[in-house]
Amino acid sequence: MMRKALLMISMVIGFANAANALVTDLSNRRIEIRYSFNGADLILFGAVGATSINTYNDAYDVVIVVRGPEAPTIVRHKERVGGIWVNTNAIRFPAAPGYYAVAASRPLEEIATPVAFASYGIGFKNLPLVADSGTGRGLTVPPIAFRDALFRLRASEGLYRQEIDSVSVVDEGLFRTDIHLPANVPIGNFIVETFVFQKGSMKARHRINMHVDKEGFERAAYTFAHEWPFFYGLVAVIVALGAGWLAGILGKK
Amino acid sequence: MPLYLPIAELSMNVFVVLGMGAIVGFLSGIFGVGGGFLMTPLLIFAGVPPTVAVATQSNQITAASVSGALAHWRRQGVDVKMGFVLIIGGAVGAFVGAQVFTYLRLLGQVDLMISIAYVLFLGSVGGLMLWESLRAIMRQRRGVEPPRKPREERHKAWIHALPFKMRFRKSHLYISALLPLAVGFFVGLLSAIMGVGGGFVMIPAMIYLLGMRANVVVGTSLFQIIFVTALTTIFHSVNTQTVDIFLALLLLPGAVIGAQLGARIGLKLKAEQLRALLALMVLLVCVKMGLGLVVEPYERYSVAEVTQLEGIK
Repeated sequence: MMRKALLMISMVIGFANAANALVTDLSNRRIEIRYSFNGADLILFGAVGATSINTYNDAYDVVIVVRGPEAPTIVRHKERVGGIWVNTNAIRFPAAPGYYAVAASRPLEEIATPVAFASYGIGFKNLPLVADSGTGRGLTVPPIAFRDALFRLRASEGLYRQEIDSVSVVDEGLFRTDIHLPANVPIGNFIVETFVFQKGSMKARHRINMHVDKEGFERAAYTFAHEWPFFYGLVAVIVALGAGWLAGILGKK
Repeated sequence: MPLYLPIAELSMNVFVVLGMGAIVGFLSGIFGVGGGFLMTPLLIFAGVPPTVAVATQSNQITAASVSGALAHWRRQGVDVKMGFVLIIGGAVGAFVGAQVFTYLRLLGQVDLMISIAYVLFLGSVGGLMLWESLRAIMRQRRGVEPPRKPREERHKAWIHALPFKMRFRKSHLYISALLPLAVGFFVGLLSAIMGVGGGFVMIPAMIYLLGMRANVVVGTSLFQIIFVTALTTIFHSVNTQTVDIFLALLLLPGAVIGAQLGARIGLKLKAEQLRALLALMVLLVCVKMGLGLVVEPYERYSVAEVTQLEGIK
Protein backbone atom coordinates (compact mmCIF):
# COMPACT_ATOMS: atom_id res chain seq x y z
CA MET A 1 0.00 0.00 0.00
CA MET A 2 2.76 2.34 1.07
CA ARG A 3 4.73 1.47 -2.03
CA LYS A 4 1.75 2.06 -4.23
CA ALA A 5 1.16 5.47 -2.71
CA LEU A 6 4.77 6.40 -3.15
CA LEU A 7 4.63 5.25 -6.71
CA MET A 8 1.55 7.41 -7.28
CA ILE A 9 3.26 10.45 -5.83
CA SER A 10 6.37 9.87 -7.83
CA MET A 11 4.30 9.43 -10.96
CA VAL A 12 2.48 12.70 -10.35
CA ILE A 13 5.76 14.47 -9.79
CA GLY A 14 7.16 12.63 -12.72
CA PHE A 15 4.30 13.79 -14.91
CA ALA A 16 4.56 17.32 -13.63
CA ASN A 17 8.02 17.64 -15.00
CA ALA A 18 7.94 14.86 -17.56
CA ALA A 19 7.44 17.38 -20.32
CA ASN A 20 10.67 19.12 -19.63
CA ALA A 21 12.46 16.35 -17.75
CA LEU A 22 12.87 13.84 -20.57
CA VAL A 23 12.05 13.87 -24.23
CA THR A 24 13.10 11.26 -26.80
CA ASP A 25 12.53 10.66 -30.47
CA LEU A 26 13.57 8.19 -33.14
CA SER A 27 15.11 8.87 -36.51
CA ASN A 28 12.36 6.71 -37.98
CA ARG A 29 9.19 5.51 -36.29
CA ARG A 30 7.97 3.41 -39.15
CA ILE A 31 10.30 0.76 -40.55
CA GLU A 32 9.36 -0.65 -43.91
CA ILE A 33 10.56 -4.05 -45.01
CA ARG A 34 11.11 -4.01 -48.74
CA TYR A 35 12.95 -6.26 -51.17
CA SER A 36 16.34 -4.83 -50.29
CA PHE A 37 15.74 -4.99 -46.52
CA ASN A 38 18.81 -6.26 -44.74
CA GLY A 39 18.14 -4.94 -41.26
CA ALA A 40 17.86 -1.35 -40.14
CA ASP A 41 19.79 0.98 -37.85
CA LEU A 42 17.84 3.67 -36.09
CA ILE A 43 19.04 6.57 -34.03
CA LEU A 44 17.28 7.39 -30.82
CA PHE A 45 18.05 10.77 -29.38
CA GLY A 46 16.79 12.41 -26.25
CA ALA A 47 17.21 15.32 -23.96
CA VAL A 48 16.93 15.70 -20.19
CA GLY A 49 16.09 19.14 -18.88
CA ALA A 50 16.76 20.66 -15.49
CA THR A 51 13.87 21.24 -13.14
CA SER A 52 13.59 22.69 -9.67
CA ILE A 53 12.79 19.28 -8.22
CA ASN A 54 15.33 17.10 -9.97
CA THR A 55 18.41 18.90 -10.97
CA TYR A 56 20.24 17.19 -13.71
CA ASN A 57 23.39 19.03 -12.97
CA ASP A 58 24.62 15.89 -11.32
CA ALA A 59 25.72 12.99 -13.44
CA TYR A 60 22.89 10.84 -14.73
CA ASP A 61 22.52 7.50 -16.50
CA VAL A 62 20.28 6.52 -19.37
CA VAL A 63 18.85 3.05 -19.96
CA ILE A 64 16.88 2.37 -23.13
CA VAL A 65 14.71 -0.72 -23.58
CA VAL A 66 13.27 -1.69 -26.96
CA ARG A 67 10.63 -4.39 -26.92
CA GLY A 68 9.17 -6.00 -30.05
CA PRO A 69 5.78 -7.67 -30.49
CA GLU A 70 5.09 -10.66 -28.29
CA ALA A 71 4.24 -14.01 -29.85
CA PRO A 72 3.81 -17.59 -28.67
CA THR A 73 7.19 -19.24 -28.99
CA ILE A 74 8.37 -22.83 -28.62
CA VAL A 75 11.83 -23.77 -27.39
CA ARG A 76 12.75 -27.37 -28.14
CA HIS A 77 15.47 -29.50 -26.65
CA LYS A 78 17.34 -32.27 -28.46
CA GLU A 79 18.49 -35.50 -26.85
CA ARG A 80 20.22 -38.54 -28.22
CA VAL A 81 17.70 -41.29 -28.92
CA GLY A 82 19.05 -44.51 -30.40
CA GLY A 83 22.15 -42.82 -31.81
CA ILE A 84 20.48 -39.81 -33.43
CA TRP A 85 19.61 -36.40 -32.05
CA VAL A 86 15.87 -35.89 -31.68
CA ASN A 87 13.75 -33.08 -30.26
CA THR A 88 12.41 -34.71 -27.12
CA ASN A 89 10.93 -32.01 -24.94
CA ALA A 90 9.65 -28.54 -25.55
CA ILE A 91 8.47 -25.55 -23.57
CA ARG A 92 5.89 -23.15 -24.95
CA PHE A 93 6.14 -19.49 -23.99
CA PRO A 94 2.73 -17.92 -24.73
CA ALA A 95 4.18 -14.41 -25.01
CA ALA A 96 7.88 -14.00 -25.70
CA PRO A 97 9.06 -10.73 -27.25
CA GLY A 98 10.27 -11.17 -30.82
CA TYR A 99 12.82 -8.44 -30.23
CA TYR A 100 14.36 -7.17 -27.02
CA ALA A 101 17.26 -4.78 -26.61
CA VAL A 102 18.73 -2.96 -23.65
CA ALA A 103 21.23 -0.16 -24.13
CA ALA A 104 22.76 1.82 -21.30
CA SER A 105 25.25 4.60 -20.76
CA ARG A 106 27.24 2.45 -18.32
CA PRO A 107 27.27 -1.25 -17.41
CA LEU A 108 23.89 -1.92 -15.75
CA GLU A 109 25.35 -3.02 -12.40
CA GLU A 110 27.02 0.37 -12.02
CA ILE A 111 23.78 2.26 -12.64
CA ALA A 112 21.43 0.75 -10.07
CA THR A 113 20.80 -2.35 -7.99
CA PRO A 114 19.28 -5.47 -9.56
CA VAL A 115 16.17 -4.83 -7.43
CA ALA A 116 15.63 -1.48 -9.08
CA PHE A 117 15.90 -2.99 -12.55
CA ALA A 118 13.60 -5.81 -11.53
CA SER A 119 10.87 -3.40 -10.46
CA TYR A 120 10.87 -1.72 -13.87
CA GLY A 121 11.30 -4.95 -15.80
CA ILE A 122 14.61 -3.86 -17.31
CA GLY A 123 16.85 -6.63 -18.54
CA PHE A 124 16.04 -10.03 -19.96
CA LYS A 125 16.20 -11.65 -16.52
CA ASN A 126 13.42 -9.38 -15.35
CA LEU A 127 11.04 -10.05 -18.21
CA PRO A 128 7.86 -11.62 -16.84
CA LEU A 129 8.10 -14.78 -18.95
CA VAL A 130 5.74 -17.63 -18.21
CA ALA A 131 5.39 -21.06 -19.80
CA ASP A 132 2.44 -23.27 -20.62
CA SER A 133 2.38 -26.16 -18.17
CA GLY A 134 1.37 -28.44 -21.00
CA THR A 135 -1.26 -30.19 -18.91
CA GLY A 136 -3.92 -27.57 -19.44
CA ARG A 137 -3.48 -26.36 -15.90
CA GLY A 138 -2.46 -22.87 -16.80
CA LEU A 139 0.90 -21.19 -16.62
CA THR A 140 4.08 -22.11 -14.79
CA VAL A 141 7.54 -20.73 -14.25
CA PRO A 142 9.64 -21.88 -17.21
CA PRO A 143 12.67 -24.09 -16.53
CA ILE A 144 15.75 -21.89 -16.37
CA ALA A 145 17.59 -23.90 -19.05
CA PHE A 146 14.83 -23.20 -21.59
CA ARG A 147 14.66 -19.55 -20.64
CA ASP A 148 18.41 -19.22 -21.07
CA ALA A 149 18.22 -21.09 -24.38
CA LEU A 150 15.57 -18.68 -25.65
CA PHE A 151 17.82 -15.75 -24.82
CA ARG A 152 20.92 -17.41 -26.27
CA LEU A 153 19.25 -18.41 -29.55
CA ARG A 154 17.54 -15.09 -30.09
CA ALA A 155 20.74 -13.27 -29.14
CA SER A 156 22.69 -15.24 -31.75
CA GLU A 157 20.18 -14.07 -34.37
CA GLY A 158 20.64 -10.47 -33.25
CA LEU A 159 17.08 -10.32 -31.92
CA TYR A 160 17.98 -10.04 -28.24
CA ARG A 161 20.69 -7.55 -27.38
CA GLN A 162 21.78 -6.72 -23.90
CA GLU A 163 24.95 -5.08 -22.67
CA ILE A 164 26.03 -4.65 -26.29
CA ASP A 165 24.81 -1.20 -27.27
CA SER A 166 25.76 1.85 -25.33
CA VAL A 167 24.06 5.19 -24.90
CA SER A 168 26.44 8.03 -25.51
CA VAL A 169 25.92 11.30 -23.71
CA VAL A 170 26.60 13.97 -26.30
CA ASP A 171 26.34 16.99 -24.11
CA GLU A 172 25.10 17.75 -20.63
CA GLY A 173 21.43 17.13 -21.35
CA LEU A 174 21.68 15.35 -24.67
CA PHE A 175 22.13 11.65 -25.38
CA ARG A 176 21.82 9.26 -28.28
CA THR A 177 21.98 5.57 -29.09
CA ASP A 178 21.75 3.31 -32.12
CA ILE A 179 19.06 0.67 -32.33
CA HIS A 180 19.99 -2.27 -34.52
CA LEU A 181 17.19 -4.27 -36.13
CA PRO A 182 18.36 -7.44 -37.95
CA ALA A 183 16.90 -8.63 -41.27
CA ASN A 184 14.75 -11.23 -39.52
CA VAL A 185 13.11 -8.67 -37.22
CA PRO A 186 9.47 -9.53 -36.46
CA ILE A 187 6.75 -7.26 -37.78
CA GLY A 188 4.44 -5.38 -35.44
CA ASN A 189 4.46 -2.71 -32.77
CA PHE A 190 7.62 -1.90 -30.86
CA ILE A 191 7.88 0.02 -27.61
CA VAL A 192 10.96 2.12 -26.99
CA GLU A 193 11.23 3.11 -23.35
CA THR A 194 13.89 5.40 -21.95
CA PHE A 195 14.74 5.57 -18.25
CA VAL A 196 16.89 8.17 -16.58
CA PHE A 197 18.65 7.05 -13.41
CA GLN A 198 20.44 9.25 -10.98
CA LYS A 199 22.38 7.90 -8.03
CA GLY A 200 20.72 4.53 -8.42
CA SER A 201 17.12 5.63 -8.53
CA MET A 202 14.79 6.14 -11.47
CA LYS A 203 14.07 9.81 -12.07
CA ALA A 204 12.21 9.94 -15.36
CA ARG A 205 10.91 7.70 -18.09
CA HIS A 206 9.59 8.26 -21.55
CA ARG A 207 7.96 5.87 -23.96
CA ILE A 208 7.51 6.06 -27.71
CA ASN A 209 6.13 3.59 -30.21
CA MET A 210 7.64 2.29 -33.38
CA HIS A 211 6.18 0.10 -36.09
CA VAL A 212 7.79 -2.46 -38.34
CA ASP A 213 5.83 -3.72 -41.31
CA LYS A 214 6.29 -5.30 -44.70
CA GLU A 215 5.54 -2.85 -47.44
CA GLY A 216 4.79 -2.78 -51.12
CA PHE A 217 5.37 -5.95 -53.06
CA GLU A 218 6.75 -7.84 -50.04
CA ARG A 219 3.62 -7.11 -48.08
CA ALA A 220 1.35 -8.05 -50.98
CA ALA A 221 3.13 -11.37 -51.50
CA TYR A 222 3.08 -12.26 -47.81
CA THR A 223 -0.59 -11.35 -47.44
CA PHE A 224 -1.52 -13.23 -50.59
CA ALA A 225 0.32 -16.37 -49.42
CA HIS A 226 -1.33 -16.33 -46.00
CA GLU A 227 -4.84 -15.11 -46.83
CA TRP A 228 -5.44 -16.99 -50.08
CA PRO A 229 -2.99 -19.91 -49.88
CA PHE A 230 -4.74 -22.00 -52.54
CA PHE A 231 -4.61 -19.24 -55.14
CA TYR A 232 -1.06 -18.40 -54.12
CA GLY A 233 -0.11 -22.02 -54.83
CA LEU A 234 -1.96 -21.93 -58.14
CA VAL A 235 -0.20 -18.72 -59.18
CA ALA A 236 3.14 -20.19 -58.10
CA VAL A 237 2.54 -23.18 -60.39
CA ILE A 238 1.43 -21.04 -63.35
CA VAL A 239 4.41 -18.71 -62.93
CA ALA A 240 6.75 -21.71 -62.67
CA LEU A 241 5.32 -23.23 -65.87
CA GLY A 242 5.64 -19.93 -67.73
CA ALA A 243 9.14 -19.20 -66.43
CA GLY A 244 10.29 -22.74 -67.17
CA TRP A 245 8.97 -22.56 -70.71
CA LEU A 246 10.58 -19.16 -71.26
CA ALA A 247 13.88 -20.27 -69.75
CA GLY A 248 13.88 -23.27 -72.08
CA ILE A 249 13.49 -21.05 -75.14
CA LEU A 250 16.09 -18.52 -74.00
CA GLY A 251 18.47 -21.26 -72.92
CA LYS A 252 18.56 -22.75 -76.42
CA LYS A 253 19.71 -19.53 -78.00
CA MET B 1 23.34 -7.72 -53.13
CA PRO B 2 20.89 -8.76 -50.41
CA LEU B 3 17.32 -9.62 -51.27
CA TYR B 4 14.58 -10.03 -48.70
CA LEU B 5 12.47 -13.13 -49.32
CA PRO B 6 8.99 -12.36 -47.98
CA ILE B 7 7.81 -15.96 -47.44
CA ALA B 8 11.05 -17.44 -46.13
CA GLU B 9 11.36 -14.21 -44.08
CA LEU B 10 15.09 -13.95 -44.47
CA SER B 11 17.54 -11.97 -46.48
CA MET B 12 19.79 -13.78 -48.95
CA ASN B 13 22.48 -12.64 -51.33
CA VAL B 14 21.11 -12.73 -54.88
CA PHE B 15 24.40 -13.91 -56.35
CA VAL B 16 24.70 -16.75 -53.85
CA VAL B 17 21.22 -17.96 -54.83
CA LEU B 18 21.96 -17.62 -58.56
CA GLY B 19 25.26 -19.44 -58.02
CA MET B 20 23.60 -22.30 -56.15
CA GLY B 21 21.14 -22.66 -59.02
CA ALA B 22 24.02 -22.74 -61.51
CA ILE B 23 26.08 -25.32 -59.59
CA VAL B 24 23.17 -27.69 -59.12
CA GLY B 25 22.02 -27.07 -62.70
CA PHE B 26 25.51 -27.87 -63.97
CA LEU B 27 25.71 -31.13 -62.02
CA SER B 28 22.20 -32.15 -63.00
CA GLY B 29 23.06 -31.38 -66.63
CA ILE B 30 26.17 -33.58 -66.50
CA PHE B 31 24.34 -36.49 -64.95
CA GLY B 32 20.96 -36.00 -66.57
CA VAL B 33 19.09 -35.88 -63.24
CA GLY B 34 16.59 -33.38 -61.89
CA GLY B 35 18.80 -32.10 -59.12
CA GLY B 36 16.14 -31.67 -56.43
CA PHE B 37 17.98 -34.05 -54.15
CA LEU B 38 21.03 -31.76 -54.39
CA MET B 39 19.25 -28.41 -54.25
CA THR B 40 17.10 -29.05 -51.17
CA PRO B 41 20.07 -30.05 -48.96
CA LEU B 42 22.12 -27.15 -50.37
CA LEU B 43 19.35 -24.69 -49.45
CA ILE B 44 19.19 -26.20 -45.97
CA PHE B 45 22.97 -25.95 -45.56
CA ALA B 46 22.71 -22.30 -46.71
CA GLY B 47 20.36 -21.51 -43.85
CA VAL B 48 16.92 -21.73 -45.47
CA PRO B 49 14.47 -23.41 -43.05
CA PRO B 50 14.07 -27.07 -44.14
CA THR B 51 10.30 -26.68 -44.53
CA VAL B 52 10.73 -23.71 -46.88
CA ALA B 53 13.51 -25.50 -48.76
CA VAL B 54 11.35 -28.59 -49.42
CA ALA B 55 8.19 -26.70 -50.39
CA THR B 56 9.99 -24.16 -52.58
CA GLN B 57 11.96 -26.87 -54.31
CA SER B 58 8.73 -28.52 -55.53
CA ASN B 59 7.85 -25.27 -57.24
CA GLN B 60 11.32 -24.90 -58.75
CA ILE B 61 11.25 -28.47 -60.11
CA THR B 62 7.98 -27.75 -61.92
CA ALA B 63 9.70 -24.84 -63.67
CA ALA B 64 12.90 -26.76 -64.37
CA SER B 65 11.05 -29.75 -65.90
CA VAL B 66 8.87 -27.85 -68.41
CA SER B 67 11.30 -27.47 -71.29
CA GLY B 68 12.56 -31.04 -71.02
CA ALA B 69 9.03 -32.43 -70.95
CA LEU B 70 8.05 -30.34 -73.98
CA ALA B 71 11.07 -31.58 -75.92
CA HIS B 72 10.17 -35.21 -75.17
CA TRP B 73 6.51 -34.51 -75.97
CA ARG B 74 7.42 -33.19 -79.43
CA ARG B 75 9.34 -36.29 -80.32
CA GLN B 76 6.56 -38.58 -79.06
CA GLY B 77 8.54 -39.58 -76.00
CA VAL B 78 5.64 -39.42 -73.53
CA ASP B 79 3.30 -42.31 -72.77
CA VAL B 80 0.32 -40.18 -71.75
CA LYS B 81 -1.79 -43.08 -70.49
CA MET B 82 1.03 -44.38 -68.31
CA GLY B 83 1.73 -40.80 -67.27
CA PHE B 84 -1.82 -40.29 -66.01
CA VAL B 85 -1.83 -43.53 -64.03
CA LEU B 86 1.45 -42.43 -62.44
CA ILE B 87 -0.03 -38.97 -61.76
CA ILE B 88 -3.09 -40.42 -59.99
CA GLY B 89 -0.80 -42.42 -57.72
CA GLY B 90 1.46 -39.38 -57.36
CA ALA B 91 -1.41 -37.08 -56.39
CA VAL B 92 -2.49 -39.40 -53.57
CA GLY B 93 1.13 -39.81 -52.45
CA ALA B 94 1.78 -36.07 -52.49
CA PHE B 95 -1.40 -35.42 -50.52
CA VAL B 96 -0.50 -37.98 -47.87
CA GLY B 97 3.09 -36.71 -47.79
CA ALA B 98 1.98 -33.10 -47.32
CA GLN B 99 -0.36 -34.10 -44.48
CA VAL B 100 2.42 -36.01 -42.72
CA PHE B 101 4.74 -33.05 -43.29
CA THR B 102 2.25 -30.61 -41.74
CA TYR B 103 1.57 -32.85 -38.76
CA LEU B 104 5.24 -33.44 -38.00
CA ARG B 105 5.94 -29.73 -38.37
CA LEU B 106 3.51 -29.04 -35.55
CA LEU B 107 5.28 -31.65 -33.44
CA GLY B 108 8.67 -30.12 -34.23
CA GLN B 109 9.90 -33.30 -35.92
CA VAL B 110 9.73 -32.37 -39.60
CA ASP B 111 13.44 -31.45 -39.88
CA LEU B 112 14.31 -34.83 -38.44
CA MET B 113 12.00 -36.59 -40.90
CA ILE B 114 13.53 -34.72 -43.85
CA SER B 115 17.05 -35.71 -42.75
CA ILE B 116 16.12 -39.34 -42.15
CA ALA B 117 14.33 -39.56 -45.50
CA TYR B 118 17.39 -38.16 -47.26
CA VAL B 119 19.81 -40.48 -45.50
CA LEU B 120 17.69 -43.58 -46.21
CA PHE B 121 16.91 -42.88 -49.86
CA LEU B 122 20.17 -41.34 -50.92
CA GLY B 123 22.05 -44.06 -49.04
CA SER B 124 20.20 -46.93 -50.69
CA VAL B 125 19.92 -45.40 -54.17
CA GLY B 126 23.52 -44.16 -54.14
CA GLY B 127 24.78 -47.49 -52.82
CA LEU B 128 22.91 -49.49 -55.47
CA MET B 129 24.02 -47.16 -58.22
CA LEU B 130 27.65 -47.30 -57.17
CA TRP B 131 27.61 -51.09 -56.97
CA GLU B 132 25.88 -51.43 -60.33
CA SER B 133 28.15 -48.97 -62.12
CA LEU B 134 31.33 -50.44 -60.63
CA ARG B 135 30.19 -53.86 -61.82
CA ALA B 136 29.56 -52.44 -65.29
CA ILE B 137 33.01 -50.82 -65.36
CA MET B 138 34.65 -54.09 -64.27
CA ARG B 139 32.76 -56.05 -66.91
CA GLN B 140 33.79 -53.61 -69.55
CA ARG B 141 37.43 -53.91 -68.56
CA ARG B 142 37.17 -57.69 -68.90
CA GLY B 143 35.31 -57.26 -72.16
CA VAL B 144 32.31 -59.46 -71.33
CA GLU B 145 28.85 -58.26 -72.29
CA PRO B 146 26.02 -60.13 -70.52
CA PRO B 147 23.19 -61.03 -72.91
CA ARG B 148 20.05 -58.94 -72.39
CA LYS B 149 17.12 -60.97 -71.07
CA PRO B 150 14.18 -61.46 -73.45
CA ARG B 151 11.15 -59.34 -72.63
CA GLU B 152 9.00 -62.17 -71.34
CA GLU B 153 11.49 -62.98 -68.60
CA ARG B 154 11.98 -59.44 -67.43
CA HIS B 155 8.79 -59.48 -65.37
CA LYS B 156 8.62 -61.67 -62.34
CA ALA B 157 5.70 -64.06 -62.05
CA TRP B 158 3.97 -62.12 -59.24
CA ILE B 159 3.72 -59.04 -61.42
CA HIS B 160 1.68 -60.94 -64.01
CA ALA B 161 -0.57 -62.32 -61.29
CA LEU B 162 -1.78 -58.81 -60.27
CA PRO B 163 -5.35 -57.80 -61.25
CA PHE B 164 -6.59 -54.68 -63.16
CA LYS B 165 -4.41 -55.19 -66.18
CA MET B 166 -4.11 -52.29 -68.61
CA ARG B 167 -2.53 -51.93 -72.01
CA PHE B 168 0.06 -49.17 -72.42
CA ARG B 169 0.75 -49.10 -76.14
CA LYS B 170 3.57 -46.60 -76.16
CA SER B 171 5.43 -48.41 -73.42
CA HIS B 172 4.76 -51.78 -75.12
CA LEU B 173 3.28 -53.12 -71.91
CA TYR B 174 0.29 -55.06 -70.71
CA ILE B 175 0.48 -54.97 -66.93
CA SER B 176 -1.60 -54.36 -63.83
CA ALA B 177 -2.40 -50.66 -63.22
CA LEU B 178 -1.63 -51.25 -59.54
CA LEU B 179 2.07 -51.30 -60.28
CA PRO B 180 2.39 -47.82 -61.84
CA LEU B 181 -0.10 -46.53 -59.26
CA ALA B 182 2.17 -47.76 -56.47
CA VAL B 183 5.28 -46.32 -58.14
CA GLY B 184 3.49 -42.99 -58.62
CA PHE B 185 2.29 -42.98 -55.01
CA PHE B 186 5.77 -43.57 -53.68
CA VAL B 187 7.26 -40.85 -55.88
CA GLY B 188 4.52 -38.40 -54.83
CA LEU B 189 5.27 -39.14 -51.19
CA LEU B 190 8.97 -38.44 -51.73
CA SER B 191 8.15 -35.27 -53.63
CA ALA B 192 6.14 -33.88 -50.72
CA ILE B 193 8.51 -34.77 -47.90
CA MET B 194 11.89 -34.39 -49.60
CA GLY B 195 11.39 -31.63 -52.16
CA VAL B 196 12.55 -33.81 -55.05
CA GLY B 197 11.03 -34.67 -58.40
CA GLY B 198 11.64 -38.33 -57.70
CA GLY B 199 13.19 -39.17 -61.06
CA PHE B 200 16.02 -41.00 -59.33
CA VAL B 201 13.48 -43.51 -58.00
CA MET B 202 10.94 -43.43 -60.81
CA ILE B 203 13.27 -44.00 -63.75
CA PRO B 204 14.89 -47.15 -62.32
CA ALA B 205 11.41 -48.36 -61.31
CA MET B 206 10.10 -47.77 -64.85
CA ILE B 207 12.98 -49.66 -66.40
CA TYR B 208 13.50 -52.53 -63.99
CA LEU B 209 10.10 -52.98 -62.34
CA LEU B 210 7.62 -51.97 -65.05
CA GLY B 211 9.90 -52.83 -67.96
CA MET B 212 8.93 -49.78 -70.02
CA ARG B 213 10.45 -49.09 -73.40
CA ALA B 214 13.56 -46.97 -72.88
CA ASN B 215 12.61 -44.17 -75.29
CA VAL B 216 9.51 -43.16 -73.33
CA VAL B 217 10.97 -43.48 -69.83
CA VAL B 218 12.48 -40.00 -69.41
CA GLY B 219 9.65 -38.13 -71.14
CA THR B 220 6.94 -39.91 -69.17
CA SER B 221 8.74 -39.36 -65.88
CA LEU B 222 9.13 -35.62 -66.61
CA PHE B 223 5.44 -35.49 -67.55
CA GLN B 224 4.52 -37.04 -64.21
CA ILE B 225 6.98 -34.83 -62.28
CA ILE B 226 5.45 -31.60 -63.62
CA PHE B 227 1.96 -32.53 -62.47
CA VAL B 228 2.96 -34.03 -59.14
CA THR B 229 5.32 -31.19 -58.13
CA ALA B 230 2.62 -28.69 -59.15
CA LEU B 231 0.16 -30.47 -56.84
CA THR B 232 2.78 -30.64 -54.09
CA THR B 233 3.34 -26.88 -54.43
CA ILE B 234 -0.38 -26.26 -53.95
CA PHE B 235 -0.62 -28.68 -50.99
CA HIS B 236 2.32 -27.04 -49.22
CA SER B 237 0.96 -23.56 -49.98
CA VAL B 238 -2.39 -24.43 -48.44
CA ASN B 239 -1.03 -26.38 -45.46
CA THR B 240 2.03 -24.48 -44.35
CA GLN B 241 2.50 -21.37 -46.58
CA THR B 242 6.16 -22.26 -47.04
CA VAL B 243 6.45 -21.98 -50.84
CA ASP B 244 8.69 -19.03 -51.65
CA ILE B 245 8.03 -18.32 -55.31
CA PHE B 246 10.77 -15.67 -55.45
CA LEU B 247 13.41 -18.08 -54.21
CA ALA B 248 12.17 -20.65 -56.75
CA LEU B 249 12.37 -18.14 -59.61
CA LEU B 250 15.83 -16.96 -58.55
CA LEU B 251 17.14 -20.51 -58.66
CA LEU B 252 15.79 -21.06 -62.18
CA PRO B 253 18.08 -19.03 -64.51
CA GLY B 254 21.28 -20.45 -63.03
CA ALA B 255 19.77 -23.93 -63.15
CA VAL B 256 18.79 -23.65 -66.84
CA ILE B 257 22.13 -22.21 -68.00
CA GLY B 258 24.12 -24.56 -65.77
CA ALA B 259 22.19 -27.56 -67.08
CA GLN B 260 22.97 -26.66 -70.71
CA LEU B 261 26.68 -26.41 -69.97
CA GLY B 262 26.60 -29.57 -67.89
CA ALA B 263 24.83 -31.55 -70.60
CA ARG B 264 27.64 -30.73 -73.07
CA ILE B 265 30.27 -32.00 -70.67
CA GLY B 266 28.16 -35.02 -69.79
CA LEU B 267 28.22 -36.15 -73.44
CA LYS B 268 32.01 -36.46 -73.32
CA LEU B 269 32.01 -38.87 -70.37
CA LYS B 270 31.30 -42.57 -70.42
CA ALA B 271 27.91 -43.66 -69.08
CA GLU B 272 29.33 -46.02 -66.44
CA GLN B 273 31.80 -43.45 -65.19
CA LEU B 274 29.02 -40.87 -65.03
CA ARG B 275 26.86 -43.19 -62.97
CA ALA B 276 29.72 -43.98 -60.60
CA LEU B 277 30.41 -40.27 -60.13
CA LEU B 278 26.73 -39.54 -59.59
CA ALA B 279 26.54 -42.35 -57.07
CA LEU B 280 29.48 -40.89 -55.17
CA MET B 281 27.85 -37.47 -55.15
CA VAL B 282 24.57 -38.92 -53.89
CA LEU B 283 26.44 -40.74 -51.13
CA LEU B 284 28.30 -37.55 -50.22
CA VAL B 285 25.03 -35.66 -49.66
CA CYS B 286 23.75 -38.68 -47.74
CA VAL B 287 26.80 -38.69 -45.44
CA LYS B 288 26.56 -34.94 -44.86
CA MET B 289 22.90 -35.28 -43.90
CA GLY B 290 23.67 -38.33 -41.78
CA LEU B 291 26.41 -36.53 -39.84
CA GLY B 292 23.87 -33.87 -38.93
CA LEU B 293 21.79 -36.58 -37.27
CA VAL B 294 24.48 -38.39 -35.29
CA VAL B 295 27.07 -35.74 -34.40
CA GLU B 296 26.31 -33.98 -31.16
CA PRO B 297 24.85 -30.60 -32.10
CA TYR B 298 26.64 -27.47 -31.00
CA GLU B 299 23.32 -26.10 -29.76
CA ARG B 300 20.85 -28.60 -28.36
CA TYR B 301 18.01 -26.11 -28.16
CA SER B 302 16.04 -24.57 -30.98
CA VAL B 303 13.40 -21.88 -31.10
CA ALA B 304 10.33 -21.47 -33.29
CA GLU B 305 7.53 -18.97 -33.37
CA VAL B 306 4.19 -20.70 -32.97
CA THR B 307 2.17 -18.28 -35.08
CA GLN B 308 4.15 -19.45 -38.07
CA LEU B 309 3.29 -23.04 -37.26
CA GLU B 310 -0.36 -22.41 -36.55
CA GLY B 311 -1.03 -20.50 -39.73
CA ILE B 312 -2.60 -23.77 -40.82
CA LYS B 313 -6.28 -23.04 -40.90
